[in-house]
Amino acid sequence: MLDLAAADADSAYAPLGLADPAMAQAQLERVTADLGRMYRERNEALRALARAHHEALLRLSIAAEYRDDDTGVHIVRMGFLAEALALALGQPRSWARLLRMAAPMHDIGKIGVPDSVLKKPGPLTPEERAVMNRHAQMGAEILGTSDVPLFRLASEVAMAHHERFDGGGYPRGLAGIDIPLSGRIVSVVDYFDALTMDRCYRPAIADDTALEMLRRERGRLFDPVVADAFLNNAGQMVALRDRINEHRPQFSALLDDEALPLLGA
Amino acid sequence: MKKILIVEDQPDIRKLIRMTLEFEDYEIHEAADGAFGLRMASAVGPDLMLLDVMMPGELDGLQVCQRIKSDPKLKHIKVVLLTARGQARDREAGQQAGVDDYLVKPFSPLQLIETIDRLVATA
Repeated sequence: MLDLAAADADSAYAPLGLADPAMAQAQLERVTADLGRMYRERNEALRALARAHHEALLRLSIAAEYRDDDTGVHIVRMGFLAEALALALGQPRSWARLLRMAAPMHDIGKIGVPDSVLKKPGPLTPEERAVMNRHAQMGAEILGTSDVPLFRLASEVAMAHHERFDGGGYPRGLAGIDIPLSGRIVSVVDYFDALTMDRCYRPAIADDTALEMLRRERGRLFDPVVADAFLNNAGQMVALRDRINEHRPQFSALLDDEALPLLGA
Repeated sequence: MKKILIVEDQPDIRKLIRMTLEFEDYEIHEAADGAFGLRMASAVGPDLMLLDVMMPGELDGLQVCQRIKSDPKLKHIKVVLLTARGQARDREAGQQAGVDDYLVKPFSPLQLIETIDRLVATA
């Protein structure tokens, strides 16, 4: 039998085959370079996919929000204020950034609440209240159980943002630090921002009044540590909110990995 | 940008490692032997060192690792050892020297980049 490998190595073309160490090295380098290209292209495609998924869910959140507030800016404020509060609490920058992207989806479940309940001018009956309160659970289900950290966090926020520190909230009636930190942060930010925006049924409440109301809910609605972090940084929070209102960033600002420079501290 | 120091005596392998690390954005430095690698560690202050175990010269990879991990100014540097396949003794010695992870030669480029990403993310 012919020893093909030996024959090839002996042939006049050996310098062009892998038997030639220089050729083998050069070929390995080409393969490695190609692998690098595919690696970067794969990562870019994954990022684009996650961004498209995030954008679709943000648009759905805005659709839910438009039925309640015709500006949709509340959603943008929620993201940036939640991030600022997380940083004030000493949370890692990466987590705070993730919360900025996740928090705006907290009310996505309102898409499943009928207008007759969501837009009812007067107080809700107990049955209507029960329908309204389902939005937390529905939101968590819409956001789903995902392996992607962003959607896992968003689902956690949707589920937990109406829990109360004293255990009297919904849907699970969790108390204290059994409520995920993300939910404790977003509930504080949501409370303050909802009070200080104009609603169809009342004008905005003054910042000082809203801050005093927040102070009174320490340990009741809110984790005192989280509420204090907001109160101790109230000036910075209000300034951030005002910058957002002034610049009216589009929700795409929430998609980007870095905050808009104009909103930067 | 995170800094990676490659200490490997074989230029061909060193080049393949560098090309792999260039998949991500790292500042890459190279040394061709243990003693020079140790000096560069002090001079450059890398976040991570990739150390070949088998190197000629006064210091092999294990000895460099020991010196790094026993120096208060350098011990924060993550160390990944590149060992020849089946060298169980290298693993034991590496553990005692405080190594952060191992990779086996011939190295898998994806495993290399994933190991380094994971270690420098927490560095």
